[in-house]
Amino acid sequence: MKLLVVEDEAKAAAYLRKGLTEEGYQVEVAHNGVDGLHMASVHDYDLIVLDWMLPGIDGLALLAALRQTRAVPVLMLTARGQIDDRVRGLQGGADDYLVKPFAFSELVARIQVLLRRASGARTVAETTQFKVADLEVDTVRRKATRAGQRLDLSPKEFSLLALLLRRQGHVLSRTEIAEQVWDMNFDSETNVVEVAIRRLRAKLDQPFERPLLHTVRGMGYVLEDRAP
Amino acid sequence: MTPPSPAPGALGATSLRGRLSRLFALQTMVGLGGVCAVVYVVIALTLAHRQDELLAHKRVAVERLLNEGGAVHDLASIRHLLSDFMAGHDELSLAVRQPGRAPVFERNMGRHTAPLHKGVSFPVTLSAAVGGPGWVELGYDTSNDKQLLSRLFWTLLSTALVGTLAVSASGFVLVKKGLAPLNALARQTATLDARHLDQRLDLAGQSEEIQPLLVQFNALLDRLQVAYQHMEAFNADVAHELNNPLSILIGSCDVALRRPRSAAELHEVLSSNLEELRRIAVIVADMLFLSNAERGASARRAPPASMARLVAEVVDYHDAVLAESQLTVRVLGDAQAAVDTGLVRRAVSNLLGNAARYALQGSRVEVRIGRADPRHVSIGVHNRGPVIAAAHLPRLFDRFYRIDPSRTNADRNHGLGLAIVAAIAKMHGGTASARSSQSGTLVQFTLQMWESSPDGGFGASDTAAAEPTGR
Repeated sequence: MKLLVVEDEAKAAAYLRKGLTEEGYQVEVAHNGVDGLHMASVHDYDLIVLDWMLPGIDGLALLAALRQTRAVPVLMLTARGQIDDRVRGLQGGADDYLVKPFAFSELVARIQVLLRRASGARTVAETTQFKVADLEVDTVRRKATRAGQRLDLSPKEFSLLALLLRRQGHVLSRTEIAEQVWDMNFDSETNVVEVAIRRLRAKLDQPFERPLLHTVRGMGYVLEDRAP
Repeated sequence: MTPPSPAPGALGATSLRGRLSRLFALQTMVGLGGVCAVVYVVIALTLAHRQDELLAHKRVAVERLLNEGGAVHDLASIRHLLSDFMAGHDELSLAVRQPGRAPVFERNMGRHTAPLHKGVSFPVTLSAAVGGPGWVELGYDTSNDKQLLSRLFWTLLSTALVGTLAVSASGFVLVKKGLAPLNALARQTATLDARHLDQRLDLAGQSEEIQPLLVQFNALLDRLQVAYQHMEAFNADVAHELNNPLSILIGSCDVALRRPRSAAELHEVLSSNLEELRRIAVIVADMLFLSNAERGASARRAPPASMARLVAEVVDYHDAVLAESQLTVRVLGDAQAAVDTGLVRRAVSNLLGNAARYALQGSRVEVRIGRADPRHVSIGVHNRGPVIAAAHLPRLFDRFYRIDPSRTNADRNHGLGLAIVAAIAKMHGGTASARSSQSGTLVQFTLQMWESSPDGGFGASDTAAAEPTGR
């Protein structure tokens, strides 16, 4: 998969290139709008990560010009406070947007969604049965067992577990969890997600020897079977 | 500090002094001109009338003289009588004629030219000795009157012009003098700047027309002073709030780099730093949100929806935390309103978060929804807990305001939660308020249901209809 990152700030471009390369993408970087437009027009990319504020041509103008010829998925990066700009960005032809500063894991998740959508894989049925170590979950029958014991989960706890399973091995930020499970799309001052995770953990991990739900400091939570 | 003031008369501004002076001049000219014209016309008419009267009078005299005396006198004595009559009357001309003969009498006839002449002619009967019937031409020379009128005309015209000039000049001076306090005011205003926030304009010596303006201007300065001081305090707070995590970040990086560290140690440092950075990001995001709201951003309203339902969703979100403190939640009342659901959820979430933090363990938290007035719905969260002193209540919604200055839970609670509630209320045309007593603390905010509420469009029911969401 080949990505183009159009970002004028050198440090930001560098960490995006590094992180996305480590995620297995082939990454090219343009440091201004003019180069970005040129590269996007000449080469075939699977997805473009486009910064809003660019010297030369800004992101929106670049997008408008690009859309004349190309239908490549575009993920827009915008600064906060440009609330209306987000909407304009989506109307202007961006496929999704992410507000700076964002968690890198969220960027990766958004890229994956856009790439899946672009490749037409949307029709593939979502997995409904999961097995991690001795944990077995069926999201259709809403049944979760560990080591053969049924876990007594509240509906939201089950949704939380299902989300963590679907994104197994990926770190989920608190904001992302709040948005996915409760549809609360704001950074909360409260420790709601922490407490919810703690309560899930009490049912999921505490009675058993090997913990599956892990806290990644400063980033969020991940569900995975960590070999001892 | 002060920007250069525009030159007088710049920006299309008109000079009050110039305008008033011009108006004075115009007014004087019209007034004096009118009076002079009337005087001239009246005198001219009077003169004409007097000429007519004089001619009529002289005609009667000539008729009497010729008719009565003509029968007895001969030509010589008639001429003599007429000569006597004309003596000293240079302005009169007289001719007595008879058909087919030389004139009986002629005086001053050649002197009188047509345009300056006014005359009558009438028949007379002379004695048979002189020659029977004839006629008289009697004329009056009006040149003296004409001269008088002409002199009068020029006198009046020059009086009007000179008067106008004099009044304009004095008006100019008087207006200048009258407006002098304005110049003093401009000088006073020029000294106002951000370093002298408490300075006000001096009302003394200003006219009563200007004073209301000054009072308003000073009131504006009061408001600006408060706003400016808020802003300054806010900036200081922001710097302080950001200073803490920044010093932690700098310190921990510093220490980490002083010695060779294992990957695990560095991982630990980076994770800890990431936590601090997230904290900074949240503070910055919230401040940007507040500043947007302050600059007048308004809510993006969705179609009308049930507020109780919206609250229930937020209660559901807080479920785990509420359960930890064994708090039960009841949602009382409902109302339909077109609001920005994301924002209102956030406000309710902040209130519930606060309530969960301060409520007595095992007590009941109530979310009360109702109509504040015909245009506003109110959503309030009530919890039992420590009483908040009245002095703190109005300041609860200030940014970074904490009742407890020791900053417990500062890592989570950065003191913007209620400010955001107030901002969200403001974005919906509402307000936020708080009250506290032994029976509990109620923090609530109001939302305008719609920019212009249609009559009877939305109803609020006060029945305790909400779903039993607590446990």
